[in-house]
Amino acid sequence: MILIHCPYCEEDRPEVEFTYGGEAHIARPLDPGALDDRQWETYLYIRRNPRGAHAERWRHAHGCARFFNAVRDTVTDRFEVTYKTGEPRPAGDTK
Amino acid sequence: MLEIAPMAVAGIDLKRGSQPITGAVYGLPVTLAPAAPLVRWSLRAKDAALLSVALGRTLPDRVGTHHDGIARLGPDEWHGLLPLGTTLPAVSGQPLGMVDVSARSVGFTLEGPGAVAALTRGCPLDVAKFTPGRATRTVFETVEIQIWCLAPDRFHVEVWRSFAPWLWHALAEAIG
Ligand SMILES: [Zn+2]
Repeated sequence: MILIHCPYCEEDRPEVEFTYGGEAHIARPLDPGALDDRQWETYLYIRRNPRGAHAERWRHAHGCARFFNAVRDTVTDRFEVTYKTGEPRPAGDTK
Repeated sequence: MLEIAPMAVAGIDLKRGSQPITGAVYGLPVTLAPAAPLVRWSLRAKDAALLSVALGRTLPDRVGTHHDGIARLGPDEWHGLLPLGTTLPAVSGQPLGMVDVSARSVGFTLEGPGAVAALTRGCPLDVAKFTPGRATRTVFETVEIQIWCLAPDRFHVEVWRSFAPWLWHALAEAIG
């Protein structure tokens, strides 16, 4: 089982306590009504889907219940770093 | 405030009986029993100091610990397990959530040298490192629970009422 470091609990916790929340750092448009269909589609559906380091949201659902962000390698499934919601993606996490 | 019937707090039909069960895991004895009825609070606040003042209680600092009947489940969430008759202070106009949820969950105790091993049968945490004073939400098999370590070989397990009969059976199997 993978252990994930929760930045709020400040400890490594078992994977089954967590749920995945999709790509991180996608801000909801402040005025959706001002967007055309293509822009709204891009916000809703278009994701980077990289091979390698991916910044993504996770929720410690069966722990502290908080959302946080993680950089995970989509090839190895290895968690490189986790950080609190609102913090920027750490520099130098990509290999 | 909503009055909660005493039966809702105390009574729980565990289907397979609710008498304490003593078993063993790896030869280490352990007893599973329903916990005494308790008052339960759900407490939410961005500012822990404000909540502490409103309650007139010292709250546990670290996420994952309990102190004086209150566990810090997350940075903005606490759960109280307090003696029957304890009442929430009447506070209004403050950015706090303080709700009596006494009937929402029930408690079990696991006590004895086999308590850690019994929990480990269904809980993915490293329970052996879970020392007195620790408390957290986690899972047992597929059911969400809270475990509070009260002493090296004594744990309080908190579970939502509708899952309680299942968990009681699962724990009985784990120590049987
Ligand atoms: Zn956490």
